[in-house]
Amino acid sequence: MFRFLAIRFGRAALTIVLVVTFAFIVLRLSGDPAVAIMSPEAPPEALAAFRRAWGLDQPIWVQYFRYFGAIAQGELGQSMRDGRPAIVLVLERIPATLMLTIPAFILKVGLGVPAGIQAALHRNSFTDRAVMTMAVAGFTVPSFVLGLILVLVFAVQLGWLPSGGQESWRSAILPVITMGLGGAGVLARFTRSAMLEVLGQPFIRTASAKGVPWPQVVRGHALPNAAIPTVTIVGFMVGSLIAGAVVVESVFSWPGVGRLLVVAVGNRDLAVVQCILLLVACTMVAANLTVDLLYGVLDPRMRARKS
Amino acid sequence: MTHNLVTIRGLGVAFNGVPALRGIDLDVGKGEAVGLVGESGSGKSVTWLAALGLLPATAKVSGSVTLGHEELLGAPPARLDAVRGGRIAMIFQDPVSALNPVHRIGKQIEEALRLHRGITGAAARAEAIRLLEQVGIPDPRRRIDIFPHEMSGGQNQRVVIAMALAGQPELLVADEPTTALDATIQAQILDLLRRLRAETGMALVLISHDLGVVADMCDRVGVTYAGRIVEQAPADRLFAAPAHPYTAGLLAALPELDGPRRRLAAIPGFVPEPWAMPPGCAFAPRCPIASALCDAGPPPRASIGDGHEVACLQPSTPGVFAAASTPMTVRA
Amino acid sequence: MMPLLRLDGVSRVYRTGGGMFGRGSLVRAVDRVSLDVAPGQTLGIVGESGCGKSTTGRLALGLEAPDEGSVRFRDAPLPAPGTAPWRAMRRDMQLVFQDPLGALDRRLTIAAQIAEPLDIHGIGGKSERQDRVAALLRDVGLRPDQAAQHPHELSGGQRQRAVLARALATDPALLVCDEPISALDVSIQAQVVNMLADIQAARGVALVFISHDLKVVRQVSHDVAVMYLGRVVERGDPDIVFATPAHPYTQALISAVPVPGHRQRARIVLQGEPPNPANRPTGCAFHPRCPQAMPRCAAEDPAVTTLPDGRAVACHLAETPSRIAA
Repeated sequence: MFRFLAIRFGRAALTIVLVVTFAFIVLRLSGDPAVAIMSPEAPPEALAAFRRAWGLDQPIWVQYFRYFGAIAQGELGQSMRDGRPAIVLVLERIPATLMLTIPAFILKVGLGVPAGIQAALHRNSFTDRAVMTMAVAGFTVPSFVLGLILVLVFAVQLGWLPSGGQESWRSAILPVITMGLGGAGVLARFTRSAMLEVLGQPFIRTASAKGVPWPQVVRGHALPNAAIPTVTIVGFMVGSLIAGAVVVESVFSWPGVGRLLVVAVGNRDLAVVQCILLLVACTMVAANLTVDLLYGVLDPRMRARKS
Repeated sequence: MTHNLVTIRGLGVAFNGVPALRGIDLDVGKGEAVGLVGESGSGKSVTWLAALGLLPATAKVSGSVTLGHEELLGAPPARLDAVRGGRIAMIFQDPVSALNPVHRIGKQIEEALRLHRGITGAAARAEAIRLLEQVGIPDPRRRIDIFPHEMSGGQNQRVVIAMALAGQPELLVADEPTTALDATIQAQILDLLRRLRAETGMALVLISHDLGVVADMCDRVGVTYAGRIVEQAPADRLFAAPAHPYTAGLLAALPELDGPRRRLAAIPGFVPEPWAMPPGCAFAPRCPIASALCDAGPPPRASIGDGHEVACLQPSTPGVFAAASTPMTVRA
Repeated sequence: MMPLLRLDGVSRVYRTGGGMFGRGSLVRAVDRVSLDVAPGQTLGIVGESGCGKSTTGRLALGLEAPDEGSVRFRDAPLPAPGTAPWRAMRRDMQLVFQDPLGALDRRLTIAAQIAEPLDIHGIGGKSERQDRVAALLRDVGLRPDQAAQHPHELSGGQRQRAVLARALATDPALLVCDEPISALDVSIQAQVVNMLADIQAARGVALVFISHDLKVVRQVSHDVAVMYLGRVVERGDPDIVFATPAHPYTQALISAVPVPGHRQRARIVLQGEPPNPANRPTGCAFHPRCPQAMPRCAAEDPAVTTLPDGRAVACHLAETPSRIAA
């Protein structure tokens, strides 16, 4: 067990390093922060001074090692735009993002999983077809399209809800629904196929043959097995709680981490972008680790493999 | 026929309008061992899945299956749940996938004890240990808490049998119980079933494609072909004097373990597809003695004495598959 | 006569378990097996799952290289797997295994699949290949119109015939059949067994026939090897081996076969299950389950003894023939 955990943690750390390195390289290659932040018309001496101040005049590998050295000391750099610590800027925005992503996550799981189970239990029925049609619509329509439609209907036409901003809890309703429906569609489809796979297994027939009433077969025998693959996708959704709202926050001008990221990328505000990516990588990796550990809890065959 | 435990009459099953069973008549007496042999798709398994209501809802089932005086077809789910695993238990071919991989084996046996005998808690655990011991699982006190994947296929099948015994059934339906197992393990499981029958007096329906297994275990044997029972007789009589050309063909197609080697007498052709059944006897297109009469309609099953019934217009023609007597020339 | 194929003391060792840092354990799937196959004859290999019979078949074909010992085909060592000479040699040695649907490409017609080996090995011109495909179809008992069909349009037995036709396309000298009829129904099994006998008589192809079904193996074989836990425990003329098995394991295996009409034969029911090859018992690997085991069996690995009837038996009882229980 200890060895298993050690390997897992090692891999997680490696993943984070690779993500950060990749982000570092792409950002350095994609434009000059000095020009982006000051303006293309700024005097060359001012640009040179800016580059010197932020260490951008150094060779890229020097920048890279300095950057990692700083991270190792817990120093994530300052925003090039307003000089405040990047981590502070990011942390400020997290509550706003969670205000959208947590209710959306609850909506995804609360709607997607039961819908998928019902669809599987009544395969090829009207319920199944209706659920699957909605699910396919839910995850094929891009969230910016769905968001705009919702805004047109509920904000512009009916005037029931605000179209953007963060004035009250009512402003969160449309973005939460936008995110939740897409995720619920993905989850419903996934749960359905996991459930169908399990329902076709011989041990389900064995349970029926020994006289277990059907509702108990579903609860006691099918669901615990179908949960094993479903947990993976739920885990990914947990991992995207921080960064999953980039598009939706932009559509609804919601001042969360996603919006901060869009602005920071536009400005080539390297420290802020890297800080967000590091945070995202950490939550993703943490979610993956949790999924792996949950596998062990849910599936005795995995437990055996680990020890 | 008042001592029948289960009486099946005119049982028909169709999947999406395609018939899989075309009128099965079968009796199982109290404590009797009945074998059903036939090739895949001939209906031997579907008969019992239909009888116990284990087919998907899309299957159309007709006819009658009575247990004692109770009609099982169309019975409410609660009644069927009480019968399944209670008075009639059924076990299947692949023991490894027949057990739920996420539950400990003890829990799976205790579930049956709770449902059918109302035993729970420590008493259920003690009884589960006793059942594991009865089916020959070594060290049951420790084994009760392991998961199915921690055991071999043969041991899984023993656990499945223990689970079936939990409800103290009057009839055990075993569908190809040893097909997935190795020869020496098959012998162990057949031995176990024989011993359990002697200990409990339960009836056994053994479904198998292996004529040898059925001959060895059963008092009476039915031969299924294309959704019907074409011949039924006491086991010794059936194998000594098969009356249906299909049964005779199956026996002649089997290689032997001793005596001179001969060329196998293969039945020509193959089983008709369920959506393209011949108008009369389903075996007629492959039958060496078929005549125009055979295409008139499905031949009725009639008694030819001593509990021997056959659905053939020209029963009991020894040496139908004459090629059987030609010596084989494989020797170098 | 010089054997077509000779396995001389071949072993195959796998490392199992262990991950990145674990050592795992060594499993001898095949342990010092010596066998030979004469041209045009059939060697049957029987045993239970995990006894190494399939691995032996793969070693015989050179699909895997042995860790010890040597495999010689036509008195020359087998080239290393994956090399050009090895690929050229595949013409002469073919494999047929249990699942015909898995062995066929669902998208290609039967004729295209049978012609494939001819294309690969550049045999014949276009019209010659067509003639050959037609002849092969006839040999395996498929109708000419089935050439244009796809695998899913055929029954299980017909698919296995198509697989055999493809294996025979290059006119191989050796065919290794691993459980070729296990997935087929009884009446179809007999058809395929007869067809194999006919093909062997007509073409003189040698067969290695691997199966758990003793009755079928006796039917087709000129020579039979019984394997247990990676070793050949008994080998000889099938009529002698199956009528008067010398090794206690062979005796148990044969007595476990239920035969219609031979009810209530005295049956030897072995206790326990074949041990894990990673955890091989000391001495004779069969001794923990052997009804006739002696103290010596736990300590000493039995050598192979040749009996007067030509059989080879690896059992301490065979060393003093009078003690063999008949």
